Amino acid sequence: MNQADLAIVGAGPTGLSAALVAARAGLKVWVFDDNALPGGQYFRQLPKQFRKTRKTVYDKEHGRASELFTAIHHPNVTYLPNATVWENPDPGILAFAAGERSGRIEAKAILIACGASDRPVPFPGWTLPGVVTAGGLQNLVKGARVVPGERAVVAGNGPLLLVVAANLIRAGATVAAVAEAAPATARLWRNLPRLLQAPEIVKLAVNYRGLMAKAGVPYRCGETVIEARGTDELEEVVLAPIDTRGRLDRTKARTVACDTLVAGFGLNPSIEMYRLLGCDMSYNSYRGGWMPKRSDDLETSIPGIFAAGDGAGIGGVEFALIEGKLAGTVIARNLGALDERTAAIQAAPLRSRLERFRKFRVGLERVYAPPSTWTELATDDTIVCRCEDVSLGEIRAREAQGFTSAFAIKGSTRMSMGRCQGRNCLPTLAAHIAARDGIAVEQVAVPRGRPPARLVTIGDLLQEDLPAPVFPTDPHLPRGEEVI
Amino acid sequence: MAMSDAPAEPPDRCEIAVVGGGIAGLSTALFLARAGRDVVLLDKGSPWGDSSGANAGTLSLQVKRTEMFEMGSTSIGLWAAFGTEMGIDVGFHQPGGLRVAESDEQIAFLREYGAEQEAVGFEFEWLEGNQLHDLAPWLGPEVRAATFCAADGYASPLIAGPSLIAGARKAGVRVISNAEVTGARTAKGGYRLSIGRRSLECEYLAIAAGGHSTKIAASLGVRLPLWVDCNMLTVTEPAPRIMDKVVTHIGGIMSLKQHVNGTVLIGGGWQGRGKFSRQTREIDPLAWVQNVGLGARIAPDLKTLRVNRAWAGYEAVTIDALPLLGRLPGLENAYVAAGARGGFHMGPGQGLVLSQLILEGETGLDISRFDPARFPQ
Repeated sequence: MNQADLAIVGAGPTGLSAALVAARAGLKVWVFDDNALPGGQYFRQLPKQFRKTRKTVYDKEHGRASELFTAIHHPNVTYLPNATVWENPDPGILAFAAGERSGRIEAKAILIACGASDRPVPFPGWTLPGVVTAGGLQNLVKGARVVPGERAVVAGNGPLLLVVAANLIRAGATVAAVAEAAPATARLWRNLPRLLQAPEIVKLAVNYRGLMAKAGVPYRCGETVIEARGTDELEEVVLAPIDTRGRLDRTKARTVACDTLVAGFGLNPSIEMYRLLGCDMSYNSYRGGWMPKRSDDLETSIPGIFAAGDGAGIGGVEFALIEGKLAGTVIARNLGALDERTAAIQAAPLRSRLERFRKFRVGLERVYAPPSTWTELATDDTIVCRCEDVSLGEIRAREAQGFTSAFAIKGSTRMSMGRCQGRNCLPTLAAHIAARDGIAVEQVAVPRGRPPARLVTIGDLLQEDLPAPVFPTDPHLPRGEEVI
Repeated sequence: MAMSDAPAEPPDRCEIAVVGGGIAGLSTALFLARAGRDVVLLDKGSPWGDSSGANAGTLSLQVKRTEMFEMGSTSIGLWAAFGTEMGIDVGFHQPGGLRVAESDEQIAFLREYGAEQEAVGFEFEWLEGNQLHDLAPWLGPEVRAATFCAADGYASPLIAGPSLIAGARKAGVRVISNAEVTGARTAKGGYRLSIGRRSLECEYLAIAAGGHSTKIAASLGVRLPLWVDCNMLTVTEPAPRIMDKVVTHIGGIMSLKQHVNGTVLIGGGWQGRGKFSRQTREIDPLAWVQNVGLGARIAPDLKTLRVNRAWAGYEAVTIDALPLLGRLPGLENAYVAAGARGGFHMGPGQGLVLSQLILEGETGLDISRFDPARFPQ
């Protein structure tokens, strides 16, 4: 079996910064990533086959990333792109599929740095061509320099809307409206001291707003998308004001013509690895829902398993970079590659920066805290599970028959059984049940993740050199334990 | 897969209590209710939440022991009848099944087994070489011979569960979730079941609780020896058609089928890591790859598909692999159906037997080999 000091899952900002620190300290590091190129979502690169004719703002960001990217060439680092870590077969061991290199690895420490994905919020028309998520739009722009349309509306919640709007403007698209559900502007001043803990991030936001103002893009707070309309593809969106208590006023709805709707309702940490590993989890709606419990050293409830970056609670790229470095430092110390003193000296500025960012994050969360029930926009016709085409109406019909728990709804509708393995629909289902039963989302029991952590190609699995199986002499006879 | 869970308390009394909301219990309850009887079905958690919801759904006569031929055929007939006669869609399909062999030894065993099965009236076709690969060009080159049985098929545990629960309710069965029977004793005119702090009195008792049947029977002084396997299952993402028959293996270690929605289910009773006593059931990641690998050797197009999900489910079996089916030794009006190898397949037939025993005191099927009294008490 392959051996490593540290196995890192994810080659985004977190994974790469951790790899660099740990490798420089002398640890033997393996980095697994399911993309073809390093960088994750934030530093997503153009495919190698693409040729750039001019530099753009993304290249500037990638300049910042170029040091990170050196991690994959470090002599202590083994980097596996197009690799899926699919199971934790035994403590300290990860099984991965990576074409001919598929296999298992035993590592003294494991860092989960799997990032996040868009929080799915179904509303009427959200499956129309032309409607994309904020993360999806960012991927198109960064990974292919493509803007899906010419006239866009950006709607949802959170600071990512500003980034998306700025990217659309830079790419030459017309942004007809930006609708932020939270009354963010009104809350800004009260929270400014906290926000100014991270002036470098505030500056970015100011730039985005400046770009929007220059392009004449209206930014309206306290407004949400309630419907996307069109016959074969998106033609217009309906926006409605929403008050601070989360009440929609449909009578004041307005219609905006567009061919692209970017809907961004925040991000959810990718938690399937933690579920497989059995880490204790906690719930924080401001940071994307479920996330692993961690110590100050970013260690999960399982000794030797660390979690950092957006996958451990949404914080953004600056957070991710620092957490990655801290995780790399702490792990190097734990494994004896850094002495206590050196590690403490290296970690101190990181910890104080994280502390600053945490205060900033509280401010940001207060500014953008959405009203609690504003996402209940789906109607009976709305598809809530896209893989299996399950509508809210079908769920309600099953509920009327007595299939009321998430397990029973899953079993009776196939919801969450498709290719997304529940990532895109279980949060919706949990929110639906919570609203129906008047309980908190975190109190809703949902089906646990099953291996593999991600879809894995059978041919890849078979690349592993495994012992020949032993067949039972009489397959009819019991193989398990006697019931006592 | 856990199923219906509408909150409801068990009543104080009923005519017939069925314990266990899997395929055997639901079939028993459904047939009794359709005959106009007063039935309460109790499940310790959610009906369909255990073995019935977690198995491969294979309905294959040719993999069963010859003693199970009559029960197996009857059950396949009932699986078909759920949809055609009772309006209960169980996702039943009957594409026919191939039982394949790879080595000389396996081919010899397949012939020997076939001869035994023919002797009890089993109909199949012997296929080898080109003839086999013309019928099933998707089979891998290492598959050299097979028996083809047109009666083989599958039901979908996912579709069948909710349909049967809804169907049973519609027929008048009171289906009660979260009602674990912690003990039973004889009472005047029947039985008194303890359900947590509550109790339920019934005239007739039918136990169809898989591995949990042992404990319930023990409280009535009856020994039902059972063992519990922990079988792994794997399902792929939906894919264009790569196979059009149910496949089983003479080694008894494979079941393969592609559903109507394009997903391929790989089973075969490979053991996961699980202990019934601790209620744990996880996949064993080494045996799992071997299991999937054998599937890909039989149907090589599987190599191009991605696995979506793998899980493990219990299967309670007796030491002679024949069910415990019939009256509980020494007791009146108390019956059991548990421990059949391929219990999902056999469930409707066993339900029919229990319902007939309760309704008429006898059954037309030969269940003499399945008498629970055959094991020392």
